[in-house]
Amino acid sequence: MFTTPRLVLIALCAALNVAVGSIVYLLKLPIYLDSIGIILCALLLASERWAGFVCASVAGTISCVIIFLLVNPFFIWFEMTVLAIALVSVLLTARFTALFRSRPLPHGTFAAIVLLCGVVTGVVSAIVSAPVVAYLFGGVTGSGSAFVVAFFLKTGEQLFKAVLLSGLAADPVDKVLQVLFAALLYRATPADFIAMLETPATTSAAGAA
Amino acid sequence: MTPNGAAIFVIVILAGALAASEPIGFLLLYAVIAAFARFELGARTFAALLRSALIVLPLAVFMIMVWVGFVGRSPAEIAAGVPGTRVAAATYVAVVCLRLFLIVLVIQLVALRFDRLTPLQFICALRIPATAKRLLALTLSLTETLRHAVERARTALIAAGVITRRPSLRNIVNGWMLVQTVWLSAITIAVGRMRDKWPIEGTIGRLDDLFQRADPQRLGDGDAIWLLLGIGAAVFGIGIGIA
Repeated sequence: MFTTPRLVLIALCAALNVAVGSIVYLLKLPIYLDSIGIILCALLLASERWAGFVCASVAGTISCVIIFLLVNPFFIWFEMTVLAIALVSVLLTARFTALFRSRPLPHGTFAAIVLLCGVVTGVVSAIVSAPVVAYLFGGVTGSGSAFVVAFFLKTGEQLFKAVLLSGLAADPVDKVLQVLFAALLYRATPADFIAMLETPATTSAAGAA
Repeated sequence: MTPNGAAIFVIVILAGALAASEPIGFLLLYAVIAAFARFELGARTFAALLRSALIVLPLAVFMIMVWVGFVGRSPAEIAAGVPGTRVAAATYVAVVCLRLFLIVLVIQLVALRFDRLTPLQFICALRIPATAKRLLALTLSLTETLRHAVERARTALIAAGVITRRPSLRNIVNGWMLVQTVWLSAITIAVGRMRDKWPIEGTIGRLDDLFQRADPQRLGDGDAIWLLLGIGAAVFGIGIGIA
């Protein structure tokens, strides 16, 4: 499963998560953009779902550890969210790889699919993250979404509900952007590289088909 | 102390920091870390303290703004449905910051303890599967590649007038192009290496040889002492919290 091109992909996707995620975290925006690499990894390995899930999860875990060590001490406790995003990306977003690479791009369908995948990923991510944010950190982590939690608390909501509402408000928007960026990067990735990621078995099966 | 012992020590302290809820639990963990710093790092502890403060301080300011300034109540008061006070909110922020500082500090101390080893030597010394070692080595190698790719892409886009050297609105609007350019640049370099450079130089085979020849050290007496102290402090802290 872990061929050299796939190990390279994992490293690149992890680096992408760290680079973009760290900048957004330091700017305290109410979004995260720290999972583009996970979604992109799932898209690039769409031909083999299990490998896609494992590689996307490993890329997410590495970036999680690096961000935790260097930038955000809260981050490591969101490992379950990383796995959830990898799972949704493999099961849902990766089904639309043909559309994401089609030329010319059908803009309407592309926008609708990105919206659908982003919203589903966002809702799942918000539900998985809410208990961690509420019970482990009392509602406030270092990210900009803490302002949204604080707003809901100020309006009189209970802690868990405030965290969940904040997640449901911010995560779908954030994940729509992440799916969009991942789809655009996937679209721009050279076909040579995607071919290198496939195992000989997959390549010969595709050839036979 | 060996790199393997250090890795386990960090995990133990992290678990303890997360589980501790009473001040005495934190105090015990801080005492173990202070002893570790004294005996393993000596004067270099100051650098670790400074780096940890630089990471946690902005976070503390942010949490004070949100909790003390805006919400004005602690999570416990919110859960109980009582009006609450800013003092309780400040106490809550202080406890979270103590926990975060502990986590960041132990990582910085261990990183400084092994700063004489190169990253590749540190990876060789770890008792982890060969695939994980290969992945770590490739990640480190590609991090450098990405740095170069960022520099090149940034320079090219500044020269083309797409982004600017200083913070600007144009950078926000066109920042995405930088990400795309860096990604394409990194992919092109990686494809070139995997297809031509690495097979000709036998890079992956040599790397595997290196990992096979490396003899990861077993845990030593020094590791045992620090691990016992860490586990003791963590368990005692958790026990007090439960009691």
